[in-house]
Amino acid sequence: MNNLTFGRYAPFNTFVHKLDPRNKLLMMILLLVSIFLKVDSWSSTLILTAFLFLLLIAAMIMSRVSFLQLFKSLSMMWFLVIFLLLIYIFIPNPNYNPEHIAFYIGSYAVNYDAFYQSGYIIFRLIMMIMITMILTATTKPMDLTYAIEWYLSPLKIFKYPVAHILAMTLSIALRFIPTLLDETQRIMKAQSSRGVDFNKGGIFKRIGGLVALIIPLFVSAIGRSEELSNAMEARGYNPYAKRSRYRILKFSWRDLIAFISILAIFGGILTLKIYDANFIKIDFIYWIFGAKPLF
Amino acid sequence: MPIKINHLSYTYMKKTPNEVKALDDVSLEIPDKKITAIIGHTGSGKSTLIQTLNGLLTPTEGTVEVGDFVITNNPKKNKKIKELRKHISIVFQFPEYQLFDETVEKDVAFGPKNYGFKEEEALKKAHEALAKVGIDESFYKRSPFELSGGEKRRVAIAGIIAIDPDILILDEPTAGLDPHGSNIILNLISELNKSGKTIIIVTHDMNIVMNYSDHVIVLSDGKLAFEGVSSDLFNGDVSNYSIEIPKLFQFCKLLEEKGAKIEISKIRTIDDLFNQLKERK
Repeated sequence: MNNLTFGRYAPFNTFVHKLDPRNKLLMMILLLVSIFLKVDSWSSTLILTAFLFLLLIAAMIMSRVSFLQLFKSLSMMWFLVIFLLLIYIFIPNPNYNPEHIAFYIGSYAVNYDAFYQSGYIIFRLIMMIMITMILTATTKPMDLTYAIEWYLSPLKIFKYPVAHILAMTLSIALRFIPTLLDETQRIMKAQSSRGVDFNKGGIFKRIGGLVALIIPLFVSAIGRSEELSNAMEARGYNPYAKRSRYRILKFSWRDLIAFISILAIFGGILTLKIYDANFIKIDFIYWIFGAKPLF
Repeated sequence: MPIKINHLSYTYMKKTPNEVKALDDVSLEIPDKKITAIIGHTGSGKSTLIQTLNGLLTPTEGTVEVGDFVITNNPKKNKKIKELRKHISIVFQFPEYQLFDETVEKDVAFGPKNYGFKEEEALKKAHEALAKVGIDESFYKRSPFELSGGEKRRVAIAGIIAIDPDILILDEPTAGLDPHGSNIILNLISELNKSGKTIIIVTHDMNIVMNYSDHVIVLSDGKLAFEGVSSDLFNGDVSNYSIEIPKLFQFCKLLEEKGAKIEISKIRTIDDLFNQLKERK
């Protein structure tokens, strides 16, 4: 259950914390895109990825996101690793090359490429987790929804003023995640007192335990949402009215510095992608295992 | 099963910026087969204390001894926790939120079934427990969600009683109930105590403390502030604990000041006062 607290806002006062949430959201998207851009040759891609990885580690240290939390969330990924490996081993390899066979399972040839491909995917996923962790650990959920509302506000021009409604729905959903987690813990404790063991026992026993957790959770969540909507209406909430706001988002010099550097990185990678620049061509598999070049 | 707590500390969210020390070096004993009341203002560590008693929370420091079971700060050493929970059960605040099954009797039988009783035995235990809390047979096949608040609470308490623990912990069992509903539950508690169970009750209501408790523990900011009998507590200086002295106690105290020869430490209800006055006559 403690894994769910991953990426919770941590109230420090670092450079990254002080950035404008709108800016952070945009930078996150740019970084995510750069991670998933694949330059033509493997070696160049790997070097770019390693560069981004180092950058993210630097950002994590700078924003004081705990590495322990990262490792904790990664420990849930081992299942995905095995699954991806199996897929890459058993789907036909389009770049089949007899020189790249690592070993045989029976008479089935397993290529180095399978490990290569799945490793690359996992690596990119880890970087994705790092980016989102940096964002959510340094930004208050409310600020994030304001940022999303700001990005959606141009919809007004098209007579489609959903920005506020969406942002309100989102902020309520985010607001109630910790509440529901507390509620879950409370119900888990109550049912543990009645002899449910959520960590041990056979599959049927565990499912039985989950039912005893989920039904009370739903009952209270539905009851809570009705109470909340009544309370909002009682205070005269109107989604179409113009509202003032306590927190005002500001774009400062810090944002400018951060944005320009991220934009430069993104632009650089995009240029390499467009011009198919294979600035380095080393076949790592050849290097390490002495097999013939890949492409 | 007596409970002994040695130098118990508990810290929430340890090693994060949100660290909170809920219990700070608490040592106390809870007497066997008595009703013990735990009081203290919100955030004083009452709920944390009761959760460490049956191993729902692992102490940060110190130990909890319940009979032969010892809970230490090393989770790996705390085996047999489930066995312990069979002997010491908690009825949480607003226990009606733990109801989930289709019918009342099935829901109450859920606990005994988890502790290894067969379907029929569990149902038998459920019926006994329901009878104890005053829920009659016409309710057995109804859905727990269509009951009234007070009935739900009684069914939820029956769900714990059906496990037949030696020690029963109740966290504000009367919160949000009408006087009739809370009387039923308080009578039930004293009945259970008479049948040989140790009761620990967390409450803000000093009338309950005066009328029912044999032993009182006051917590303040995670530290033990008072341990003893209720009359000593009310006689002493209570200004720091946000405690409202019961009207009955104030009345007895006034009577004593006016010269009535009564033993305040033995008075718990109006009946006690009446009997003492009658004897004096």
